[in-house]
Amino acid sequence: MAIDYFEVECREETGRKAYLEIASDVLQDLDLIKIVSKIHIYIDLDFPFFLAVGKTRKLPPMVKIRDFSNVMESEGKIILNISDETYLSQMLTVLWDRFGRDFIEQPDRFTVVISAELTGVSEIEEMIVYDPSVSMYKDLIYALQWIAPEGFKVRREWIDKGRFYYIASENTLPPGILDTIVAEKIKLISEV
Amino acid sequence: MTLVPITYKGGIYRHDIIIDLIDDLGGYIVQKHIIAQDVVLQSLVPKDDIELIRKMGRPLGGDVIESPLVGTEIAVVSPSLDIHHLPHTSCDAAEYMRRSGAKTNMIGLSRGFGKRIANLNFEERDVINEHDCAVFLLGNFEECIRHKLPALRRGIHVPIILTGGPDVEALKRTANPPVQGYVGGIGRKGHRMKKQEGEIEFLDALITEISKVLGEKREEIAKDPLSVSPARLMSVIDDELEITKSSTHPTPVTVQITGLKLKIPYEDYSEYVRAIKIEEDITVGDVAEILPSRMRNYIWIKIKPFSETNIMV
Repeated sequence: MAIDYFEVECREETGRKAYLEIASDVLQDLDLIKIVSKIHIYIDLDFPFFLAVGKTRKLPPMVKIRDFSNVMESEGKIILNISDETYLSQMLTVLWDRFGRDFIEQPDRFTVVISAELTGVSEIEEMIVYDPSVSMYKDLIYALQWIAPEGFKVRREWIDKGRFYYIASENTLPPGILDTIVAEKIKLISEV
Repeated sequence: MTLVPITYKGGIYRHDIIIDLIDDLGGYIVQKHIIAQDVVLQSLVPKDDIELIRKMGRPLGGDVIESPLVGTEIAVVSPSLDIHHLPHTSCDAAEYMRRSGAKTNMIGLSRGFGKRIANLNFEERDVINEHDCAVFLLGNFEECIRHKLPALRRGIHVPIILTGGPDVEALKRTANPPVQGYVGGIGRKGHRMKKQEGEIEFLDALITEISKVLGEKREEIAKDPLSVSPARLMSVIDDELEITKSSTHPTPVTVQITGLKLKIPYEDYSEYVRAIKIEEDITVGDVAEILPSRMRNYIWIKIKPFSETNIMV
Protein backbone atom coordinates (compact mmCIF):
# COMPACT_ATOMS: atom_id res chain seq x y z
CA MET A 1 0.00 0.00 0.00
CA ALA A 2 1.56 3.25 -1.06
CA ILE A 3 1.06 6.69 0.39
CA ASP A 4 -1.79 8.57 -1.36
CA TYR A 5 -0.22 11.98 -1.09
CA PHE A 6 3.42 12.67 -0.36
CA GLU A 7 4.89 16.10 -0.94
CA VAL A 8 7.82 18.18 0.28
CA GLU A 9 7.59 21.93 -0.09
CA CYS A 10 10.72 24.07 0.00
CA ARG A 11 12.11 26.86 -2.10
CA GLU A 12 15.39 25.06 -2.79
CA GLU A 13 14.90 22.29 -5.30
CA THR A 14 17.92 20.13 -4.30
CA GLY A 15 16.94 20.27 -0.65
CA ARG A 16 13.35 19.45 -1.51
CA LYS A 17 14.34 16.36 -3.46
CA ALA A 18 16.80 15.25 -0.76
CA TYR A 19 14.16 15.48 1.95
CA LEU A 20 11.62 13.65 -0.21
CA GLU A 21 14.12 10.81 -0.39
CA ILE A 22 15.01 10.94 3.33
CA ALA A 23 11.34 10.93 4.34
CA SER A 24 10.52 7.98 2.12
CA ASP A 25 13.57 6.05 3.38
CA VAL A 26 12.64 6.63 7.02
CA LEU A 27 8.96 5.77 6.56
CA GLN A 28 9.95 2.59 4.78
CA ASP A 29 12.53 1.64 7.41
CA LEU A 30 10.01 2.02 10.22
CA ASP A 31 7.29 0.27 8.25
CA LEU A 32 4.96 3.26 8.39
CA ILE A 33 4.03 3.32 4.69
CA LYS A 34 0.90 1.32 5.40
CA ILE A 35 -0.11 3.55 8.27
CA VAL A 36 0.43 7.04 6.87
CA SER A 37 -2.00 7.89 4.08
CA LYS A 38 -1.03 11.51 3.41
CA ILE A 39 1.97 13.58 4.38
CA HIS A 40 3.01 17.09 3.51
CA ILE A 41 6.37 18.42 4.65
CA TYR A 42 7.06 22.13 4.63
CA ILE A 43 10.57 23.44 5.19
CA ASP A 44 11.06 27.15 5.82
CA LEU A 45 14.69 28.13 5.40
CA ASP A 46 14.40 31.61 6.84
CA PHE A 47 12.79 31.07 10.24
CA PRO A 48 13.96 28.15 10.01
CA PHE A 49 11.46 25.43 10.82
CA PHE A 50 10.41 21.97 9.71
CA LEU A 51 6.73 21.15 9.56
CA ALA A 52 5.10 17.85 8.71
CA VAL A 53 1.35 17.42 8.59
CA GLY A 54 -0.47 14.29 7.59
CA LYS A 55 -3.23 11.78 7.96
CA THR A 56 -3.08 8.22 9.17
CA ARG A 57 -5.12 5.32 7.89
CA LYS A 58 -7.70 3.45 9.93
CA LEU A 59 -5.73 1.44 12.43
CA PRO A 60 -5.93 -2.30 12.85
CA PRO A 61 -8.34 -3.15 15.73
CA MET A 62 -7.22 -3.82 19.28
CA VAL A 63 -6.11 -7.38 19.93
CA LYS A 64 -8.25 -9.35 22.40
CA ILE A 65 -7.56 -12.76 23.90
CA ARG A 66 -10.34 -14.36 21.79
CA ASP A 67 -8.48 -13.37 18.59
CA PHE A 68 -5.66 -15.81 19.13
CA SER A 69 -6.86 -18.31 21.70
CA ASN A 70 -9.67 -20.73 22.42
CA VAL A 71 -11.11 -20.23 25.93
CA MET A 72 -13.16 -22.97 27.62
CA GLU A 73 -14.23 -23.94 31.09
CA SER A 74 -13.83 -27.44 32.48
CA GLU A 75 -13.77 -28.85 36.01
CA GLY A 76 -13.62 -25.47 37.71
CA LYS A 77 -10.78 -24.24 35.55
CA ILE A 78 -10.61 -21.89 32.60
CA ILE A 79 -8.27 -23.28 29.98
CA LEU A 80 -6.75 -21.07 27.29
CA ASN A 81 -5.55 -22.84 24.18
CA ILE A 82 -3.16 -20.51 22.38
CA SER A 83 -3.11 -20.82 18.60
CA ASP A 84 -0.75 -17.92 17.80
CA GLU A 85 2.15 -17.08 20.06
CA THR A 86 2.66 -13.49 18.78
CA TYR A 87 0.86 -11.83 21.69
CA LEU A 88 1.55 -14.49 24.32
CA SER A 89 3.95 -12.47 26.41
CA GLN A 90 1.71 -9.38 26.37
CA MET A 91 -1.23 -11.61 27.37
CA LEU A 92 0.65 -13.09 30.29
CA THR A 93 1.60 -9.63 31.51
CA VAL A 94 -2.03 -8.54 31.39
CA LEU A 95 -3.21 -11.65 33.21
CA TRP A 96 -0.48 -11.41 35.86
CA ASP A 97 -1.30 -7.77 36.49
CA ARG A 98 -4.97 -8.62 36.87
CA PHE A 99 -4.92 -11.86 38.86
CA GLY A 100 -1.42 -12.19 40.23
CA ARG A 101 1.35 -14.54 39.14
CA ASP A 102 0.41 -17.24 41.60
CA PHE A 103 -2.98 -17.77 40.00
CA ILE A 104 -1.83 -18.11 36.39
CA GLU A 105 -0.52 -21.55 35.50
CA GLN A 106 1.17 -22.39 32.25
CA PRO A 107 1.60 -26.18 32.07
CA ASP A 108 3.02 -26.02 28.56
CA ARG A 109 3.91 -23.48 25.94
CA PHE A 110 0.44 -23.27 24.37
CA THR A 111 -1.77 -23.65 27.43
CA VAL A 112 -2.66 -21.26 30.22
CA VAL A 113 -4.90 -22.28 33.14
CA ILE A 114 -6.80 -19.93 35.46
CA SER A 115 -9.15 -20.88 38.29
CA ALA A 116 -12.82 -20.39 37.30
CA GLU A 117 -13.53 -18.86 40.71
CA LEU A 118 -11.60 -15.75 39.74
CA THR A 119 -13.26 -14.92 36.45
CA GLY A 120 -15.58 -16.06 33.64
CA VAL A 121 -15.00 -17.23 30.06
CA SER A 122 -16.49 -14.18 28.35
CA GLU A 123 -14.52 -11.79 30.55
CA ILE A 124 -11.27 -13.46 29.58
CA GLU A 125 -12.21 -13.51 25.91
CA GLU A 126 -12.81 -9.78 25.86
CA MET A 127 -9.59 -8.77 27.61
CA ILE A 128 -7.48 -6.36 25.55
CA VAL A 129 -3.93 -7.52 25.13
CA TYR A 130 -2.43 -5.09 22.70
CA ASP A 131 -3.38 -1.65 21.40
CA PRO A 132 -1.64 -0.95 18.06
CA SER A 133 -2.29 2.79 18.26
CA VAL A 134 0.06 3.24 21.23
CA SER A 135 3.18 1.97 19.52
CA MET A 136 2.17 3.47 16.20
CA TYR A 137 2.02 7.01 17.60
CA LYS A 138 5.42 6.50 19.18
CA ASP A 139 6.83 5.23 15.90
CA LEU A 140 5.30 8.07 13.94
CA ILE A 141 6.73 10.78 16.19
CA TYR A 142 10.07 9.01 16.17
CA ALA A 143 10.03 8.88 12.37
CA LEU A 144 9.28 12.60 12.13
CA GLN A 145 12.07 13.38 14.57
CA TRP A 146 14.36 11.33 12.43
CA ILE A 147 13.34 13.06 9.21
CA ALA A 148 13.64 16.56 10.70
CA PRO A 149 17.06 18.24 10.38
CA GLU A 150 19.50 17.65 13.20
CA GLY A 151 19.63 20.37 15.78
CA PHE A 152 15.95 21.25 15.58
CA LYS A 153 15.38 20.49 19.22
CA VAL A 154 12.48 22.83 19.93
CA ARG A 155 9.42 20.97 18.82
CA ARG A 156 5.70 20.57 19.13
CA GLU A 157 3.67 17.56 18.09
CA TRP A 158 0.01 16.68 17.95
CA ILE A 159 -1.92 13.57 16.99
CA ASP A 160 -5.66 13.28 17.06
CA LYS A 161 -8.40 11.47 15.14
CA GLY A 162 -6.21 10.26 12.33
CA ARG A 163 -4.43 13.55 11.78
CA PHE A 164 -1.07 14.72 13.02
CA TYR A 165 1.40 17.53 12.82
CA TYR A 166 4.98 17.92 13.93
CA ILE A 167 6.87 21.18 13.95
CA ALA A 168 10.50 21.60 14.91
CA SER A 169 12.97 24.45 14.92
CA GLU A 170 16.22 25.63 16.44
CA ASN A 171 14.51 28.86 17.54
CA THR A 172 11.73 29.13 20.08
CA LEU A 173 8.29 28.54 18.62
CA PRO A 174 6.22 31.54 19.64
CA PRO A 175 2.55 30.62 20.17
CA GLY A 176 0.25 32.08 17.55
CA ILE A 177 2.70 32.97 14.82
CA LEU A 178 3.15 29.50 13.39
CA ASP A 179 -0.43 28.38 14.08
CA THR A 180 -1.65 30.04 10.89
CA ILE A 181 0.76 28.10 8.75
CA VAL A 182 -0.01 24.83 10.55
CA ALA A 183 -3.75 25.40 10.06
CA GLU A 184 -3.15 26.21 6.41
CA LYS A 185 -1.25 22.98 5.80
CA ILE A 186 -3.79 20.89 7.70
CA LYS A 187 -6.48 22.38 5.49
CA LEU A 188 -4.41 21.53 2.43
CA ILE A 189 -4.03 17.94 3.54
CA SER A 190 -7.78 17.57 4.11
CA GLU A 191 -8.53 18.87 0.64
CA VAL A 192 -6.15 16.75 -1.43
CA MET B 1 63.74 9.49 -6.42
CA THR B 2 60.02 10.18 -6.34
CA LEU B 3 57.97 8.06 -4.01
CA VAL B 4 54.42 7.29 -5.09
CA PRO B 5 51.62 6.06 -2.84
CA ILE B 6 50.35 2.55 -3.54
CA THR B 7 48.28 -0.15 -1.88
CA TYR B 8 49.41 -3.76 -2.18
CA LYS B 9 46.71 -6.35 -1.60
CA GLY B 10 47.53 -10.01 -1.54
CA GLY B 11 47.58 -13.27 0.33
CA ILE B 12 49.29 -13.52 3.70
CA TYR B 13 51.47 -16.44 2.52
CA ARG B 14 55.07 -15.23 2.10
CA HIS B 15 54.04 -11.59 2.13
CA ASP B 16 57.30 -10.80 3.94
CA ILE B 17 58.95 -11.06 0.51
CA ILE B 18 57.01 -7.97 -0.55
CA ILE B 19 57.80 -6.18 2.71
CA ASP B 20 61.52 -6.86 2.23
CA LEU B 21 61.32 -5.83 -1.42
CA ILE B 22 59.70 -2.49 -0.60
CA ASP B 23 62.34 -1.95 2.07
CA ASP B 24 65.19 -2.82 -0.31
CA LEU B 25 63.85 -0.51 -2.98
CA GLY B 26 63.97 2.37 -0.53
CA GLY B 27 60.22 2.58 -0.04
CA TYR B 28 58.28 2.81 3.23
CA ILE B 29 55.34 0.86 4.55
CA VAL B 30 52.97 3.34 6.09
CA GLN B 31 50.34 0.91 7.28
CA LYS B 32 49.96 -2.85 7.35
CA HIS B 33 46.65 -4.60 7.83
CA ILE B 34 46.15 -8.29 8.14
CA ILE B 35 42.54 -9.23 7.48
CA ALA B 36 41.91 -12.98 7.73
CA GLN B 37 43.96 -14.49 4.89
CA ASP B 38 44.73 -11.17 3.22
CA VAL B 39 47.31 -8.55 3.80
CA VAL B 40 47.00 -4.90 2.80
CA LEU B 41 50.15 -2.79 2.67
CA GLN B 42 49.84 0.91 2.22
CA SER B 43 53.20 2.12 1.15
CA LEU B 44 55.26 4.76 -0.56
CA VAL B 45 57.52 3.25 -3.23
CA PRO B 46 59.81 4.54 -5.99
CA LYS B 47 57.79 5.25 -9.12
CA ASP B 48 59.97 3.13 -11.44
CA ASP B 49 59.66 0.02 -9.28
CA ILE B 50 55.88 -0.39 -9.20
CA GLU B 51 56.05 -2.89 -12.06
CA LEU B 52 58.65 -4.93 -10.18
CA ILE B 53 56.47 -5.12 -7.07
CA ARG B 54 53.52 -6.09 -9.23
CA LYS B 55 55.60 -8.83 -10.89
CA MET B 56 56.89 -10.19 -7.57
CA GLY B 57 53.40 -10.11 -6.06
CA ARG B 58 51.67 -11.94 -8.89
CA PRO B 59 52.60 -15.51 -7.80
CA LEU B 60 51.41 -14.63 -4.26
CA GLY B 61 48.01 -13.50 -5.52
CA GLY B 62 48.94 -9.87 -4.99
CA ASP B 63 47.87 -6.74 -6.77
CA VAL B 64 49.16 -3.19 -6.72
CA ILE B 65 46.73 -0.29 -6.81
CA GLU B 66 47.71 3.34 -6.94
CA SER B 67 46.12 5.08 -3.95
CA PRO B 68 46.54 8.83 -4.05
CA LEU B 69 45.80 9.39 -0.37
CA VAL B 70 48.37 7.11 1.26
CA GLY B 71 50.46 9.05 3.76
CA THR B 72 47.82 11.65 4.57
CA GLU B 73 45.66 12.21 7.60
CA ILE B 74 42.30 13.73 6.82
CA ALA B 75 39.67 15.17 9.14
CA VAL B 76 36.11 14.29 8.18
CA VAL B 77 34.08 16.97 9.86
CA SER B 78 30.39 16.44 10.32
CA PRO B 79 28.06 18.87 12.13
CA SER B 80 26.82 16.01 14.29
CA LEU B 81 27.15 12.26 14.70
CA ASP B 82 23.80 11.95 16.41
CA ILE B 83 22.75 8.34 16.86
CA HIS B 84 19.21 8.65 15.67
CA HIS B 85 20.16 10.23 12.38
CA LEU B 86 22.14 7.19 11.30
CA PRO B 87 23.31 6.19 8.75
CA HIS B 88 25.54 9.21 8.30
CA THR B 89 26.92 10.24 4.94
CA SER B 90 30.20 10.98 6.70
CA CYS B 91 30.62 7.25 7.44
CA ASP B 92 30.41 6.44 3.73
CA ALA B 93 32.74 9.28 2.82
CA ALA B 94 35.31 8.39 5.48
CA GLU B 95 35.26 4.73 4.53
CA TYR B 96 35.71 5.58 0.86
CA MET B 97 38.73 7.72 1.66
CA ARG B 98 40.23 4.91 3.72
CA ARG B 99 40.03 2.68 0.68
CA SER B 100 42.17 5.20 -1.16
CA GLY B 101 44.74 4.94 1.58
CA ALA B 102 44.00 7.95 3.74
CA LYS B 103 43.96 7.85 7.51
CA THR B 104 40.67 9.54 8.29
CA ASN B 105 39.43 10.78 11.61
CA MET B 106 35.73 11.43 12.00
CA ILE B 107 35.09 14.61 13.91
CA GLY B 108 31.49 15.04 14.99
CA LEU B 109 31.11 18.55 16.30
CA SER B 110 29.41 18.97 19.63
CA ARG B 111 27.36 21.96 18.48
CA GLY B 112 27.71 21.95 14.73
CA PHE B 113 24.09 21.29 13.84
CA GLY B 114 21.39 23.82 13.00
CA LYS B 115 21.58 27.03 11.00
CA ARG B 116 21.95 29.88 13.51
CA ILE B 117 23.20 27.81 16.44
CA ALA B 118 26.10 26.06 14.67
CA ASN B 119 29.55 26.68 16.12
CA LEU B 120 32.98 25.20 16.60
CA ASN B 121 34.83 25.03 19.90
CA PHE B 122 38.55 25.50 20.52
CA GLU B 123 39.30 21.85 20.98
CA GLU B 124 37.57 20.89 17.74
CA ARG B 125 39.38 23.69 15.92
CA ASP B 126 42.78 22.58 17.23
CA VAL B 127 42.14 18.91 16.44
CA ILE B 128 41.10 19.77 12.87
CA ASN B 129 44.21 21.93 12.45
CA GLU B 130 46.42 18.92 13.18
CA HIS B 131 45.30 17.24 9.93
CA ASP B 132 46.47 17.62 6.34
CA CYS B 133 43.06 18.81 5.21
CA ALA B 134 39.50 18.93 6.45
CA VAL B 135 36.50 17.61 4.55
CA PHE B 136 33.34 19.38 5.68
CA LEU B 137 30.24 17.29 5.08
CA LEU B 138 27.33 19.66 5.33
CA GLY B 139 23.64 19.33 4.59
CA ASN B 140 21.21 19.76 1.74
CA PHE B 141 20.31 23.44 1.89
CA GLU B 142 22.36 26.17 0.25
CA GLU B 143 20.87 28.78 2.58
CA CYS B 144 21.96 26.87 5.69
CA ILE B 145 25.48 26.18 4.38
CA ARG B 146 25.93 29.88 3.60
CA HIS B 147 24.83 30.76 7.10
CA LYS B 148 26.80 28.22 9.10
CA LEU B 149 30.03 27.80 7.13
CA PRO B 150 31.69 30.98 8.48
CA ALA B 151 31.13 29.73 12.04
CA LEU B 152 32.43 26.24 11.31
CA ARG B 153 35.60 27.33 9.49
CA ARG B 154 36.65 30.00 11.98
CA GLY B 155 40.29 29.54 12.92
CA ILE B 156 40.90 26.59 10.61
CA HIS B 157 44.02 27.04 8.52
CA VAL B 158 44.33 23.64 6.83
CA PRO B 159 42.78 23.34 3.34
CA ILE B 160 39.02 22.82 3.45
CA ILE B 161 37.01 20.70 1.02
CA LEU B 162 33.37 21.64 1.23
CA THR B 163 30.74 19.08 0.36
CA GLY B 164 26.98 19.24 0.58
CA GLY B 165 23.73 18.45 -1.17
CA PRO B 166 23.73 21.38 -3.64
CA ASP B 167 25.87 21.19 -6.78
CA VAL B 168 29.40 22.57 -7.05
CA GLU B 169 28.27 25.90 -8.52
CA ALA B 170 25.87 26.48 -5.64
CA LEU B 171 28.55 25.54 -3.09
CA LYS B 172 30.97 27.98 -4.70
CA ARG B 173 28.38 30.71 -4.28
CA THR B 174 27.99 29.96 -0.59
CA ALA B 175 31.65 30.01 0.47
CA ASN B 176 33.02 33.47 1.04
CA PRO B 177 36.02 33.68 1.10
CA PRO B 178 36.36 30.61 -1.15
CA VAL B 179 37.58 27.29 0.24
CA GLN B 180 40.08 25.04 -1.52
CA GLY B 181 37.76 22.35 -2.88
CA TYR B 182 34.08 21.69 -3.59
CA VAL B 183 32.11 18.51 -4.17
CA GLY B 184 28.35 18.61 -4.66
CA GLY B 185 25.72 15.92 -4.32
CA ILE B 186 26.87 14.56 -0.95
CA GLY B 187 24.28 15.78 1.50
CA ARG B 188 22.33 14.12 4.26
CA LYS B 189 20.76 10.86 3.14
CA GLY B 190 18.47 8.35 4.76
CA HIS B 191 20.37 5.32 3.49
CA ARG B 192 23.89 4.04 2.81
CA MET B 193 25.38 5.06 -0.52
CA LYS B 194 25.12 2.16 -2.94
CA LYS B 195 24.14 3.40 -6.38
CA GLN B 196 26.95 4.24 -8.75
CA GLU B 197 25.01 7.04 -10.32
CA GLY B 198 24.22 9.95 -8.04
CA GLU B 199 25.98 8.47 -5.01
CA ILE B 200 29.29 6.66 -5.52
CA GLU B 201 30.21 8.93 -8.43
CA PHE B 202 30.27 11.88 -6.03
CA LEU B 203 32.51 9.97 -3.62
CA ASP B 204 34.88 9.37 -6.54
CA ALA B 205 34.73 13.09 -7.26
CA LEU B 206 35.55 13.71 -3.60
CA ILE B 207 38.72 11.59 -3.83
CA THR B 208 39.77 13.43 -7.00
CA GLU B 209 39.14 16.78 -5.34
CA ILE B 210 41.11 15.84 -2.20
CA SER B 211 44.01 14.60 -4.34
CA LYS B 212 43.95 17.89 -6.22
CA VAL B 213 43.93 19.98 -3.04
CA LEU B 214 46.67 17.90 -1.41
CA GLY B 215 48.67 17.98 -4.66
CA GLU B 216 48.60 21.76 -4.49
CA LYS B 217 49.70 21.60 -0.87
CA ARG B 218 52.58 19.28 -1.77
CA GLU B 219 53.66 21.62 -4.58
CA GLU B 220 53.65 24.50 -2.15
CA ILE B 221 55.84 22.50 0.26
CA ALA B 222 58.19 21.44 -2.56
CA LYS B 223 59.22 25.10 -2.97
CA ASP B 224 60.79 24.92 0.48
CA PRO B 225 61.23 21.16 1.04
CA LEU B 226 61.02 19.47 4.41
CA SER B 227 64.27 18.66 6.23
CA VAL B 228 63.34 14.98 6.28
CA SER B 229 60.59 13.02 4.58
CA PRO B 230 57.79 12.04 7.00
CA ALA B 231 57.95 8.39 5.88
CA ARG B 232 61.70 8.23 6.61
CA LEU B 233 61.21 9.87 9.99
CA MET B 234 58.50 7.35 10.72
CA SER B 235 60.78 4.39 10.03
CA VAL B 236 63.61 5.92 12.08
CA ILE B 237 61.36 6.52 15.09
CA ASP B 238 59.58 3.19 14.77
CA ASP B 239 62.87 1.28 14.53
CA GLU B 240 64.01 2.97 17.72
CA LEU B 241 60.84 2.80 19.80
CA GLU B 242 59.10 -0.19 18.18
CA ILE B 243 55.73 1.49 18.58
CA THR B 244 54.02 -0.54 15.86
CA LYS B 245 55.04 -3.83 17.44
CA SER B 246 53.78 -3.01 20.89
CA SER B 247 50.67 -0.99 20.11
CA THR B 248 47.13 -2.07 19.36
CA HIS B 249 46.23 1.11 17.49
CA PRO B 250 45.35 0.67 13.81
CA THR B 251 48.00 3.25 12.91
CA PRO B 252 50.33 3.73 15.90
CA VAL B 253 52.48 6.04 13.81
CA THR B 254 50.38 8.10 11.43
CA VAL B 255 52.12 9.70 8.49
CA GLN B 256 51.02 13.14 7.41
CA ILE B 257 52.22 15.33 4.56
CA THR B 258 54.36 17.50 6.81
CA GLY B 259 54.62 15.47 9.97
CA LEU B 260 53.74 12.47 12.07
CA LYS B 261 51.45 11.55 14.87
CA LEU B 262 52.84 9.13 17.45
CA LYS B 263 50.28 7.40 19.58
CA ILE B 264 52.33 7.28 22.76
CA PRO B 265 52.07 9.59 25.78
CA TYR B 266 53.69 12.99 25.27
CA GLU B 267 54.73 13.47 28.91
CA ASP B 268 56.69 10.22 29.02
CA TYR B 269 58.27 10.09 25.58
CA SER B 270 58.65 13.59 24.12
CA GLU B 271 62.22 14.08 25.37
CA TYR B 272 63.20 10.60 24.27
CA VAL B 273 61.77 11.14 20.78
CA ARG B 274 63.52 14.51 20.51
CA ALA B 275 66.90 12.86 21.18
CA ILE B 276 66.55 10.02 18.62
CA LYS B 277 69.38 10.17 16.09
CA ILE B 278 68.45 10.20 12.41
CA GLU B 279 72.05 10.37 11.19
CA GLU B 280 75.42 10.82 12.85
CA ASP B 281 74.87 14.12 14.63
CA ILE B 282 71.34 15.01 13.62
CA THR B 283 68.51 14.29 16.04
CA VAL B 284 64.74 14.40 15.53
CA GLY B 285 64.64 17.57 17.62
CA ASP B 286 66.92 19.32 15.12
CA VAL B 287 64.60 18.86 12.17
CA ALA B 288 61.16 18.82 13.76
CA GLU B 289 59.03 20.35 16.47
CA ILE B 290 57.75 17.84 19.02
CA LEU B 291 54.34 19.06 20.15
CA PRO B 292 51.61 17.69 22.38
CA SER B 293 48.66 16.67 20.22
CA ARG B 294 45.11 17.74 21.08
CA MET B 295 44.05 14.17 20.34
CA ARG B 296 44.33 12.36 23.68
CA ASN B 297 47.94 12.52 24.94
CA TYR B 298 49.61 11.76 21.62
CA ILE B 299 52.72 13.34 20.21
CA TRP B 300 52.45 15.49 17.13
CA ILE B 301 55.67 15.96 15.15
CA LYS B 302 55.83 18.89 12.77
CA ILE B 303 58.80 18.69 10.40
CA LYS B 304 60.56 21.98 9.82
CA PRO B 305 61.36 23.14 6.27
CA PHE B 306 64.92 23.26 4.93
CA SER B 307 65.00 27.08 5.09
CA GLU B 308 64.62 26.94 8.87
CA THR B 309 67.08 24.18 9.70
CA ASN B 310 69.57 24.18 6.83
CA ILE B 311 69.63 20.40 7.21
CA MET B 312 68.50 17.84 4.66
CA VAL B 313 68.60 14.17 5.61
